[in-house]
Amino acid sequence: MADVELRAITKRYGAVEACADVNLHVADGEFVTLLGPSGCGKTTTLNIIAGLDEPTSGEVLMGGKVVNDLTPYERDVAMVFQNYALYPHMSVADNIGFTLRLRKRPRDEIRRRVQTVAEMLELAHVLERLPRELSGGQQQRVALGRAVIREPAVFLFDEPFSNLDAALRVKMRVEVKELHQRLGITSLFVTHDQEEALSLSDRIAIMRDGHVEQVGTPDDVYAQPRTRYVARFIGSPQMDIFTGRLERRDGITAYVVGSAAFEIPGEAAPTCDGELDMGVRAEHVRLNAGGIPMPVRVVQPLGSMTYVTIGWDEELLTSRLLGMAHFSPGEAVTVSLDPAGLLFFDRESGRRVLPDGALA
Amino acid sequence: MTIDPGAVARPTGRSYLARRRRTGTLLVLPALAVLALILALPIAASLALSLMDADTADFRFGVFVGLDNYRTLFADPVFALALRNSIYWMVVEVAVVVVVALWFALLLNHPMGRWSVFRIILLVPWALAPVANAVLWKWIYNSSYGILNFLGTATGVLPDPVVWLGDPGLALNALLVAEIWKEIPFITLLLLAGLQNVPRILYRASRLDGAGPWQTFRFVTLPQLRTTILICIVLQSIWALKSFDLVYVLTRGGPANATTMLNFLAYRVSFQFGNLGLGAAVADILFFVMFLLALAYVRVFRPARAAERGVA
Amino acid sequence: MSRRGRARTRRIGIGLGLALFVAWTLAPIVWALISSFLPLRALTSTPPDLAPGNFTLENYLGVLSADRDLIGGLRNSAIVASFTAVLALLIGSSAAYALARLRVPGGGKILMLILVTQMFPAMVIIIPLFIVLSRTGLTDSQVGLMIVYLSFVLPIVIWVLKGFFEAVPRELERAAAVDGASTMQVFRLVVLPISLPPLFATGVFAFIEAWNEFFFAVILTQSSAKTAPVVVAEFSGQYVSLYGQMVAAAAIASIPVIVLAIVFRRYILEGFVEGAVKG
Repeated sequence: MADVELRAITKRYGAVEACADVNLHVADGEFVTLLGPSGCGKTTTLNIIAGLDEPTSGEVLMGGKVVNDLTPYERDVAMVFQNYALYPHMSVADNIGFTLRLRKRPRDEIRRRVQTVAEMLELAHVLERLPRELSGGQQQRVALGRAVIREPAVFLFDEPFSNLDAALRVKMRVEVKELHQRLGITSLFVTHDQEEALSLSDRIAIMRDGHVEQVGTPDDVYAQPRTRYVARFIGSPQMDIFTGRLERRDGITAYVVGSAAFEIPGEAAPTCDGELDMGVRAEHVRLNAGGIPMPVRVVQPLGSMTYVTIGWDEELLTSRLLGMAHFSPGEAVTVSLDPAGLLFFDRESGRRVLPDGALA
Repeated sequence: MTIDPGAVARPTGRSYLARRRRTGTLLVLPALAVLALILALPIAASLALSLMDADTADFRFGVFVGLDNYRTLFADPVFALALRNSIYWMVVEVAVVVVVALWFALLLNHPMGRWSVFRIILLVPWALAPVANAVLWKWIYNSSYGILNFLGTATGVLPDPVVWLGDPGLALNALLVAEIWKEIPFITLLLLAGLQNVPRILYRASRLDGAGPWQTFRFVTLPQLRTTILICIVLQSIWALKSFDLVYVLTRGGPANATTMLNFLAYRVSFQFGNLGLGAAVADILFFVMFLLALAYVRVFRPARAAERGVA
Repeated sequence: MSRRGRARTRRIGIGLGLALFVAWTLAPIVWALISSFLPLRALTSTPPDLAPGNFTLENYLGVLSADRDLIGGLRNSAIVASFTAVLALLIGSSAAYALARLRVPGGGKILMLILVTQMFPAMVIIIPLFIVLSRTGLTDSQVGLMIVYLSFVLPIVIWVLKGFFEAVPRELERAAAVDGASTMQVFRLVVLPISLPPLFATGVFAFIEAWNEFFFAVILTQSSAKTAPVVVAEFSGQYVSLYGQMVAAAAIASIPVIVLAIVFRRYILEGFVEGAVKG
C-alpha cells in the first residue's frame, strides 16, 4: 500500500504544455479520479504516475519516496488500459499470469493464482480462450484480472470503460467499486465521464488545459464548485449559468437576466459588487410555487423524473421534477429558484464568489 | 505488497523511457555494424581507389594520382558515349514505364479490372530473375529463329529478318524494350496503391459537377497522384541506372559500345581491363548521379508525407 | 450517342485495354514456356512447329543432367538465399523495432541513410569487397556471398519491418512493461509473436531478392558456389544454339521464386507497395 504524491509536475511537448504544475496527494487506499475533457492532461498525468512517461519537471512520490527513476513495475503499479491492451496471441490465463511468468514463479503457483483471480472476476470458464473470442466486457475483466493478480501498491485506470456500451459501463463501475472496497488498494482513475467520477471516487481532481481546477469529494465538487468550469462540468443535466446582473432596489436584491428578475433573499445574496454570473441546478428550480410566469418550451419525460425547460428571451432554464410530470409546450408556469442552490461566479475569473464576498 | 527488487530487473535508477532508448541503441548496433562494414567502408575505399592508379588486385600497391583518372574519363569518347547511353536509357525507360504503368493502373483500378488474376499476372515479370528475363528476350530477339523476326516477316511488317542485338542503331532500344517490359509491373502496383488512396468521394463530386472521364482524370486523379508519380519517377530512374544483367547477357556492351552504359563500363574497365582505379572512378561518377537522385527522392518524400499528416 | 451507348463503348474500350495488358505482360512468358517444351528441330523450323505432339520434356531433362551445373546452382541459390533471409531477419527485425519504437538517438537520420543505401550501384562496393573476400579466402563461397548480399537485403528488411512495427499498438508494449517485462522481453514475448505474418513475408521478399541477384554472384563465384542465375547466364552464352534448353534453364531458375511471389502475394502487395508509397 502506498500513498501517491505529485509535486509540481509539468510536462511540455515543445511549445505545448500538457501538464502545468500539477500537485496532488492521494492517501493510502483512496480512490481518486482525474476528470476532464480530452486534451486536459489527465492521461499524460496518469502515464507520468505510472512511469510510462517522464515529466519535464516535478516529482512523483510513492510511499514517501521519489520514484521518478523507477520503471512502472518497480513502482509496484498496475494499470488497466482504455483499449484493454490484452496480448492477442495469449489465452486469458496466460494474459493474467504473464506477470508471474516474467517473475519465473513455479507453474502451479501461477495456475492457482490465476484461477483465484479468474473466479473473482467470473472468468473461470473462458480461461483458455483468446482475447478476440471474448466480449468487450469480458476483455475488460481480463485486463482487470491482469492488474489484480499483481497485488500492487497502486491501481491506475486509463478510461477503461470508454469502449463499452452504456449498460455495461454501469455494471463495470459497480464491479470496480466493489473491488476497491474489497482490496482497499490506492487507485487513480482517469475519465471524461463526470457521472463515472462521481459514482466511483473518494475524491475527484478536475483538470483543464493541464491544470487542476479543483480537488474535492463528490459532494464538494457538486455542491461547492470552485469555478464556473467545474460547476458546468459536474452534474447532469449541466448547470444553467446566466450572464446577468445584480440589482439592489428598495432592500430587495434580484438577479436580472434579460426581462426576468429573480429575487434573492438576503442570506443568499452576494455582498460584493462587480460582474457576476449566476448558476443554478435543475433540482433547485421550482415550478408553480410562486415566482415569475414563463412559458414551457420543452418537456423531457425520463420515467423516474421529468426535465421541463422553460424559456424567456433567448434564455433557457431547466427544472427537474420527480416522477412523470405533465406539462405541454407553451403552457404557462411560474418559476422560482431555491436560494440554497444559487451559485455566483466572478465573470472574469470564473471563480465562485462565497457568501462573505471572497473568491473560492 | 511491497516491491520485490530482486524479482525482475534490478532497479538501476533508470526510467522506463531511458531503458528503452538504451536497449534500442543495442538493438540497432548489429545492423549498423554490418552496414558500415559492408557498405560504408567499401564506398570510402572505392572513393580512395578512384584517386589511385591501381592495376593489381590489391589496391594498396597503387600510386596516388589525384584526379588523373577522372581527367582521363572526361577526355575519353567511350566514356562520353556511355554517359549519353545512360542518360538516354534512363529518360526513355522512366518515361515509357511510368506512362504505360499509369495506364495499366487506371485499367486495374476500374471495376472491370478488379479481378485478382490481374494482380497475379503483374507479379510474374517482377519476380522473374533479371537474368532469366535477359535469356527470354535473347530468344525472342534471335535473328534466325526468334519469334519477333518470324512474326515480322510473316506479316510483312519487316522485309527482312532484323539482327536486333547486333545492329548498333537498334541494340540499345531492343534492350530497353526488354527492361521496360520487366519494370512496368512494379510501378503499376505502386501507382495502383496510390490510386486506391484517392478518396472515392472526390470522384462522386466531380461526376455531380458534370466532369467527363478525361476531365476527372486531369483535375481529380492526377493531382492526387502527384506525389506517387514523382516517387515512381525517382525510383525508376535509380533502378534504370543500376541495370546490368541485360547488357551482360545479351550484348556485353556491344555492338561497338552501342549498349555500353556507365554501370557496364565500370565493370569492364575494372574486371576486363584490370584498371581498378579507372573503374572505380566510373563507378563513383555513377554513384554521384544516383546520390543526387536519392536526395531528390528524400526531398519529394518528406514534405509530401508531412503534408499528408497535416504538418506542413 | 446515348448515355448508355457511351458507357458501353467505354466498357468495350476498357475491356480491350485489359486484354492488351494481359497480352503484353504474358506473351513473352507464354512464348518462352512453350519454347521450353519444344525440341530444337521444332523451334528452328520456319514457321516454328507447334504441333501438340512435339511437346517434350527433353530440354528440361537435358538441362538438369549432371554435367551441367544447374542443380548445383539451384542448391547454392537456395542455401544462400535462405540464410541471407534469415540473417537479415534476425539483424534487421531488432534494428527495425528499435528504430520504429525505441526512440534511438539519431534514429531519423539512420533511417534516411538506410533508405539511401538502396540507391546506388553495386559496382561501387564490389572491388573493395572482392579484395577483402579474396584475402580472407571467401571468394567462390556461399558464406562470402551471404555476407555481401546482406548489404542490399538488410536495408530493405529494416525499412519494411519498421513500417509494420510502427503499427503495433503502444498500449500493448506498455501493458507488458507494467507487467514487469524488460524492453527485450517486450520485443521477444509480445511484439515478435504478433508480427509473424509480416516477418515471414519480409523473409520471403528477402529470399526473392537474394535468389535473383546476379552481379555480385557472377563476380564473386567461380565454380563451386555458382548460383542459379550465374549458371543460366553461362548457359545462354555457352549453349547458345540450344534454344529450348536455354529457355528451360531460365524457367527452372525462375519458377521457384515466381511461385513464392504468387503464394505470398497478399503480403508482398500490401507491405512493400504501400511502404513505398507511404514510407
